[in-house]
Parts: sequence; structure tokens; C-alpha cells
Amino acid sequence: MKVTIVTFRDIFQSEAQEVDRFGEDYRRMSAVVFLDKSDAAKAGIKDGSNVLVESDNGRVVVVARISEDTHPGLAFMPNSPWSNQLVPAKTDDTRIPSYKSISATISVTDDKIPTVEDLLRELVS
Amino acid sequence: MAVCTGCSLLCDDIEVSIDGRRITKTKNLCRKGFGRYRSLASDRSVPRVDGRQAGIEEAISRAAEMLRNAKRPLLFGWSCSTLEAQRKGIELARRTKAIIDDTSSICQGEIMDMVIRKDIPTCTLDDVRNYGDTLIFWGCDPSSSHPRHMSRFSYFPRGEKLQRGHEEDRTAFLIDIRTSPTAKILAGNFIQISPGGDADLIEAMLAVLDGKIPRVRDKKAMISMMNRLKKADMGVIFPGLGLAYSLKGRMDRMKALVDRLNETTRYNVIPMVGHYNMRGFNQLLFDETGFINRVSFADGVDHGPVYSVVEASKSCDLALVVGSDPISSLPAGIAKALAGVPMITLDPHRTLTTELSRVVIPTALSGIEAGGSALRMDGVRIEFDPIVKSEYPSDEEVLSKILEEI
Amino acid sequence: MVSAMEIYQLTPKLNCKKCGLPTCMAFAVALLAREKQIEDCTPLLEPKYEAKLKKLREVMAPIAGATETGLVIHEDRCYGCGNCVVACPVNVANDPKGSAIGLGPKSDRVILVVEDGVVRCLNPKECRRFGPNRILCNLCTATCPSKAIEFV
Repeated sequence: MKVTIVTFRDIFQSEAQEVDRFGEDYRRMSAVVFLDKSDAAKAGIKDGSNVLVESDNGRVVVVARISEDTHPGLAFMPNSPWSNQLVPAKTDDTRIPSYKSISATISVTDDKIPTVEDLLRELVS
Repeated sequence: MAVCTGCSLLCDDIEVSIDGRRITKTKNLCRKGFGRYRSLASDRSVPRVDGRQAGIEEAISRAAEMLRNAKRPLLFGWSCSTLEAQRKGIELARRTKAIIDDTSSICQGEIMDMVIRKDIPTCTLDDVRNYGDTLIFWGCDPSSSHPRHMSRFSYFPRGEKLQRGHEEDRTAFLIDIRTSPTAKILAGNFIQISPGGDADLIEAMLAVLDGKIPRVRDKKAMISMMNRLKKADMGVIFPGLGLAYSLKGRMDRMKALVDRLNETTRYNVIPMVGHYNMRGFNQLLFDETGFINRVSFADGVDHGPVYSVVEASKSCDLALVVGSDPISSLPAGIAKALAGVPMITLDPHRTLTTELSRVVIPTALSGIEAGGSALRMDGVRIEFDPIVKSEYPSDEEVLSKILEEI
Repeated sequence: MVSAMEIYQLTPKLNCKKCGLPTCMAFAVALLAREKQIEDCTPLLEPKYEAKLKKLREVMAPIAGATETGLVIHEDRCYGCGNCVVACPVNVANDPKGSAIGLGPKSDRVILVVEDGVVRCLNPKECRRFGPNRILCNLCTATCPSKAIEFV
């Protein structure tokens, strides 16, 4: 399924980040993508299943959640090191990354959600 | 009363009960601010040099040595430090002929630049509370990012000229992509746009102001909103990250709208700055160099996109990171470049950046363990004293020692 | 949130008046309004109604913390933003130098305060939904971004 990913701030995730950015709470609240109900149904994605999100820049496994509100074609992710796997490293003349408009595909996966440590290992590999 | 450094509202009506170093009860802190206070006891960083634990003094000396030997250092972060620490940071950048940049470079820099240069009119949040009768929250979700924004200043409180509160005296519009928690409160005045739709919306608003028919689906709603906006005694626009990213490189269109609105009544702009003292850094650097961010002192003062954290991460030979976690907040491709550079990090907490740093210097949590001053998102200076004793030095103290040793 | 009809379905439906009310439906309404306790229905405590009693206790549990005005605070959802603190007309009237102008409360006669990052209810009897002249004020719930306050 093709979507545009838009990142956002969630207060519970911000709180978890303040308290412990290596903690399970922060991972649970960060490594997640909110999908439109009909989009998810069409793609056969169930609430709570692991999905692989891929952009031109990178890929990351997160949990899919179905939104209460409708937003076909859009998917929302809390701003975090997980969403940052997808943000293009290439920027325009402003040198401001496009954090809130990322073209991506989403598909069901059996792969595991990476921990912060996994993401760090990938950075230094 | 204590001050909360959890966001750029710098709430200064916080009541805290303390037992030794333990915070036993707080009043008036929002969930996010309470998280910052709780972090006093969680996952503090430990001093480290070249991968092994060390003393703070040794870490400082090693940092000074690395900075002395660097050819093209980048000094980054700053938005979570006091004005006093930031001043030392700029001095350190001059002394080491470094590139200095802050988090505004990847968020609100463009619009903050206009505000600080006075290219766009602004006011204080106290003015908003007293006189701001028409509000536009644009590409932001204050309920989540600045939880007390609407209750302390912008929408709900009684003000000098607005005694009847939000139900009768104030009108607030929200322009956003997502049906956010704030959209639930402002449901009747929520204008939902598509990603990147901000520029088109501005053109439609300008069209109505020029008496033309706007090219939008719901023409009636647009015209009714503009009629309301024109009736403001004092309007205020709060641009958030949604607007900053959608309109990057075209922020002159926002200025065009604000200028046009100001032809008939007063409109001000206060950017929704995230970190507690980003504005302070931008103002200080501007006062010293004429630029709010992205400055190089390699040869006098130079400014430009090449000195942005995004570019400098790839070109620097050393990074000093102060109170920021760029490894977490930069796009992974850029974080990867930065991870390949020797880093010195000052932070109260263990972060993704401290994990990859060659030198880590733990510092006091400002507002709780260290005093100082900062500029609120509206530019008002707020001073604070420490409320608990700390075993850690402040950013300012660490930077002073590094300066002495260089 | 549980309704009076759901509660009624869990009563013995005897209309025995032992609780002091004429019907089991009236008892259900009174239970929801916290004017009666589950234990006021003595037949319900008999072994043959054990399953109903258990279920009734379950459905009533979420509103056990409700104040006399029916105000329930879901701390786990609360942002601590203080919108309700500042919008509450009683807070505004009793605390003109504090919550009325957006600051933390300075009066001890306010109803809503924020402590440790979440809202707490202090003086429920001051609420406009309480007492003989009550009105259905809903400013605290209408201004909440996360449905953390409910009236039951």
C-alpha cells in the first residue's frame, strides 16, 4: 500500500521520551504507524500487526494501528528515531528535512520491531 | 515557585515539594513537564572518555584537547541550555573557529528569522491573553506539544480586555492535516488541509481579502472565516512545525498574508518553538553576528545553508553537542554521517547521541538542578533558580572550563 | 459508560421497595446518581443473585471514583493541560487571581487542580452540577483534548 507519512507529536510519547528514551514505553509509543481504516482493510492490515514501512531513504518495522478518524492515503507516525529511518537524507536548498511528507509503502511483515539499540547498531555499521 | 523547562512556555507557576533530592509532589505541571521533573531520577548520563568511564574533570580536559586540535568543529544543540551557557557556546565557537548551529536549523528557523529581524510583527503571550481575540493555530497541536498554551495564554484564560473568556470573547481557528487532540477542542473552526496544502490555503485567503472568489472546495466557509479574521481587534497566528515544513523556502507567502491582514487590523505571529530556549539562542547569535543560526567563525563571520547541521554533519571533523540528541532527531542518513564523526556530548541524560560519543560530560538539568535564564517562545526573559542540589555541573560551568583550557 | 437500563437488568426486578424506592428502575437511576449503594438492595445479596451482583459490581467499578456530581477523571488519559481548570466557571469565580487568568490555582475553593501532571477534583460540592439549583454545566469536558473527564 502506498501512503504519505506525516510525523506528529504525541504527549504520552513525549513524556516517555523525557523519562527514558531507551525504555519499552518509549519504543511502544514511537514504533507505530496510524492507518486509515479503509486503507488498512484494503491492504489486509489488522490493528496490532507488525508492518514494514519503506521509503526511498530506508525501512523500519513498526506496529500498525487503525485510526478513529479517517485519513485515506495518509499515515501518521510519532516523530522518533523510528520515523527518522524513513525521512530523506537529501534535502532541498533550505536544508530542512521533509519530516512531515514522506512517500512510503506499507506491508504486513513477520519481522520484529527494532529496539533503540538495534537502530544505533545500524547507524554505526 | 519553580520554572518548568519542558517546553518553550517556561511555566513559572510550578509548585514543588521536595524531600532531599526527591520530588514528592508537584502542582501545575502538565504531563510533559512532569515527565521532565521525573527525569531527574532516571537514566542520567555518566562521564566517559574514549569508551571508558572517567571523571568529569578528565572528560572536560579531553573535550578541550579535542576541540583545540579540530580543524572544522561543529557546535550544535543549544536550544535546551540557558542564555548564560549559550553565550559561552558562541564564545567557544569564535575561539575554535567553529560552525555553530542549533535545532532551529531543522525546524522553526525560517519563521523565527523573520520574527527576530522584525520582518513580521510579533507580541508577547501576555498580550495574547489580554487582547488576542482572534487566533489561528497553524500546523500545530498545542494540546500535545505545549499543553498549557491554550489554558495559560491563548484561548481559555480571562484577559484585561477579554473578561468573558473563550466562549464569548475569543475565536480560535485551527489549520492542520491531522484531526489532532486540539482539533477535537476546536472542532467547529477546524480547517483540514492536505499535506503541502498550506501555500494554496494562503493564496485562497489572500484572494478573499482582495475580494476575489477563492479556489477552494468550500468557498462559503473560507469567506466566513476571512470575514471573522478581518473583524479581529488583535489577531495572532501560531505557526507550528506543520507550517514550517510545508512552507519551507516559501515563508515569504506567510509574510504576505500577515502584511495583508495588517492593512486593516493588527495581526501578530508567535512561532510554536519546541525546546525551552531555542529562541534565546537565536536572539543571542543574531545580536552577535546578525544571523540566528548556521554561522561559521572559520574566517570572520559567515552564514549559509552549508553551515546547517544537515550539511555540517557531513563535513565537520568534530562535533560538540550540547543538550540535544541529533542522532535521534536527524533523518537516519544524516545521523549516520554524524555518527562517523568524533562527538563530545553534554547532556543530563543518556541519549542516542551520548551512546555514540567519544566524550560524555553529564550536566545538571536546567530549571531543576541549575539556574539561569531563557527566552520564552515570545521572547520574554524568564529567570530560574535551582530547586535541588546537584552533583553535576551546569552547561555553563562545563563550557567555561573548556574555554579556560583551550 | 454504563446506563440506568443496563443497571436495571442486573437488579432482581422484584420492585420490593426494600431499598426505600418504589421500583428497581428507580433504584438503578439512584445507583447511577450515587444516591444509593449496591448494598442498599438487600435481595441482591442473596446467593441466587450472586452472578448479577458480581456483574453489577463490575459495571459500577469504573464510576466508583466518581464524585458526588458524577465527575469521573481518567488520569491515564489526562494531559495535565489545565484547560478544564481555567475554563471551569466556579474556578474562575472563586480564584480570580489564579485559574481565571490562566495561572495555577491560588485559592483553596477551586474544584479542579493539576497535580503531578494530571487533573484532580478537590471540592466537588462547589460544582454547578451539585445541589438543588444544579445546572448541566459541561465546560470541563468540552475543553478537554482527550476525554479525560466524564460525567456519569
